[in-house]
Amino acid sequence: MSAAAVPADVAVGTELPPLTVRLTRTDLVRYAGASGDLNPIHHSEHFAAAVGLPGVVAHGLLTMGTALRVVTDWVGDPERVRSYAVRFTKPVVVPDDGVGAEVVVTASVVALEGTLATVALEVVAGGQKVLGAARAQVELGG
Amino acid sequence: MAIAQEHVGRTYPPTEPYEVTAVKVAEFAAALGDPDPRYAGPDAVAPPTFAAVLAATAWQALFEDPELDLALRRVVHGDQRFDFHRLLRVGDRVTATLTIDKVRVRGAADIIGASIAIRTLDDEPVATAVATFFHSREAAA
Repeated sequence: MSAAAVPADVAVGTELPPLTVRLTRTDLVRYAGASGDLNPIHHSEHFAAAVGLPGVVAHGLLTMGTALRVVTDWVGDPERVRSYAVRFTKPVVVPDDGVGAEVVVTASVVALEGTLATVALEVVAGGQKVLGAARAQVELGG
Repeated sequence: MAIAQEHVGRTYPPTEPYEVTAVKVAEFAAALGDPDPRYAGPDAVAPPTFAAVLAATAWQALFEDPELDLALRRVVHGDQRFDFHRLLRVGDRVTATLTIDKVRVRGAADIIGASIAIRTLDDEPVATAVATFFHSREAAA
């Protein structure tokens, strides 16, 4: 857990501490249960192939939710998040090899209006950007 | 019948009331691999994207509406936005109401924009989830 950001230290260009996570098949099964999204492309090789995917893929909302930790860890309070938007550009393929897929999240402040910061997230898996136009707005003050 | 411009503005009845529980919030935070202590215990808040649990229930109305002729297996989630008045928290009893905001038909592809309003049973707005879906129509036989 990182300390809460001090608003006086934040400016456009401020980089957030990066986050690297690993998603395994077990994580996908756990998210399927927690979210209720039981689409078999997230656990079955057979169904993933049938719709033309290169393998079992992570739920877009799992990648989206996991990536937001880079912001909530930085501000130290998830209640400060005002909005969060992403485009699902590439699926995160999660192999059944006990290792899974590495997802690397970096982020920086791209706008600051008073104490409301807009953070742009870069989310990369397998060398490819998997979320596009990922932006979170977060309240830094009081 | 297929989805068309005339369906813009259609709103479905609110989902059945959903109660946010400590167990479910902890389960969701664990699924995100997020150990933030705010997500634990009887006074927990839910991770921001927990709103997707409510959204998923509301999306069913869209995909089960026979008039729109959509097949879930031919749907791709294009983008997702959440706007938060506040986070969901343990003890909240909420519903989710879906409205079709945008329909564009491009050949055999439908582009559908839908927003979901999450409100407490006391009608307090909590969050809005806005998504774009790409749907491929079945090829004509």
